[in-house]
Amino acid sequence: MKVFNMKLGSIRYLIKEGFKGAWANRLMSLASIGVLVACMVVIGLAILISENVSLAVGTLEKQNVVMVYMKDYNWALYSDAANLPEGKRNGADKNGILKSDYVIHDEEEAKALCKKIEGLDNVDSVEYVSSEQGLETVKGAMIEGQEEYFDFLDDEYGNPISSAAKVTMKEMALFDKTVEEIKTLEGVDVVQSHSDLAAKIDTIKQGIYVAGFWIIAILIIISLVIVSNTIRVTLYNRKLEISIMKAVGATDAFVRIPFVIEGMIIGLISAVISEALIYFCYRVATEKISIMLGQVVPFGELAWFLLLVFVSIGIFSGALGSAFTIGKYLKHEGSEFTAI
Amino acid sequence: MSEEMLEQIVQISDHQEPAIEFRGVSKTYPSGTHALEDVNIRINKGEFVFVVGSSGAGKSTFMKLIMREEKANTGTINVNGFNLTKMRRKHVPLLRRTMGIVFQDFRLIPSMNVFDNVAFAMHVVGESGREVRREVSKALSKVGLGDKARSMPMQLSGGEQQRVGLARALVNAPDLIIADEPTGNVDPNMSYEIVNLLTEINKRGTTILMVTHDHNLVRDFKHRVIMLDSGRIVADNAAGGAE
Repeated sequence: MKVFNMKLGSIRYLIKEGFKGAWANRLMSLASIGVLVACMVVIGLAILISENVSLAVGTLEKQNVVMVYMKDYNWALYSDAANLPEGKRNGADKNGILKSDYVIHDEEEAKALCKKIEGLDNVDSVEYVSSEQGLETVKGAMIEGQEEYFDFLDDEYGNPISSAAKVTMKEMALFDKTVEEIKTLEGVDVVQSHSDLAAKIDTIKQGIYVAGFWIIAILIIISLVIVSNTIRVTLYNRKLEISIMKAVGATDAFVRIPFVIEGMIIGLISAVISEALIYFCYRVATEKISIMLGQVVPFGELAWFLLLVFVSIGIFSGALGSAFTIGKYLKHEGSEFTAI
Repeated sequence: MSEEMLEQIVQISDHQEPAIEFRGVSKTYPSGTHALEDVNIRINKGEFVFVVGSSGAGKSTFMKLIMREEKANTGTINVNGFNLTKMRRKHVPLLRRTMGIVFQDFRLIPSMNVFDNVAFAMHVVGESGREVRREVSKALSKVGLGDKARSMPMQLSGGEQQRVGLARALVNAPDLIIADEPTGNVDPNMSYEIVNLLTEINKRGTTILMVTHDHNLVRDFKHRVIMLDSGRIVADNAAGGAE
């Protein structure tokens, strides 16, 4: 007597039975595909929205740079040290400034400080901005034609802008801590930052992640229930078959497999439809939105990831939903094959 | 000792092994119904046994215990070499593969033709392809339905449907056939034909256990008769022919 010999032919038979089940129960399958597609589309939209918000927040983050101004010659020139009476200090230059009045004496030392800042944990990048570049930036921000009003700074009084480091951070949550760390470095004068903006960005990001997680979790549970219900209907339609299977010695696994396959087929079909729907919806939506926002995540970047998510949800909810239902049935009712 | 004699001794000793053995078996359902009480019975391999008794006598419970659909509260049950008292649920399919079951209501799948209904029993135990085609054809020929393989169950008479059920029970070459009132839904002539078929199968060595209410069948076919009443075996007539 042959027992527990799952041959290739058997596997083929079971897969065929799974397809037959999905087809024989097509109205119910269609209904669950509809609900699953709705769940997946919402999940897909949640992912796309989250990605786009991340992109927007990322842009904001990049703009939220910290300017670290250094204690260089220009700083000394415009600080209290420069107000010392001329001639009283030996070795002072024409502006009355001694080398010991400031910390950063040249570009080399400024760049060394930049390196130190770059070495901090939460610092993503550091860009050295010389005082000349700083002044150009200030002038550049002026209304056209007003730049010339500031020409006197170069000629008569010297450049009031200190050398600086343009710093971007990795984690906005650690923003304040990092600013404090920068302030402790020797040669740092002031740190110009917008910590409240950083906090807001961080809150938005956290909110998106939490909301996205719950939306996806709830919808996966809904998907499971939907598939489970469809399989329950198939199960009752096929009670007779199951009773005969049990009578002739089919194992629980053998009874279970076609239902699991049926669930997976429903899940897979839903995944493919969802991907197509999301593609068209996103294309139409981004055409309008990109005009307002300027920048959106291209669908192509997320297409495979979304398909992977949908297929995983489809297979997972299909297999688990049906395995759960049939398992429960076999445990409580299906083992009694004469009592149908 | 000649080889022929030795073969006979082997056959006799084989036939004396129990196909079914109940020792002090009692079954009470959670509702409090005492279905069987202290049942002791031994059915040897190759026997044909009628099980008779009025409704509520315990026939169904007797059969369910053999098929391990129910578990006894006390006593031990052995079927086809399996100790059902100690058997774990996951091993029940192994037991059921040693038996063929014929139902009173045929239990044919209406959407499958005759061939597929019989083949189904082979598919679920892992058989496929050529073996299935060969064995199903053989089983259908045995029950005289070789030419109805492509018919749908609804196109067949009650007797023919029951013969399909019989072919399905036979197709996996079981050691024991359990027939639960197989003639209950067929006309008297067909009833005789079905029991004739079962007798033919029995002659080839398969143990047959048949529950019936039909006095005429019990009288005319001289097989062992076990009579149940109020959960007890009240008669066990090895010669058969009378109740």
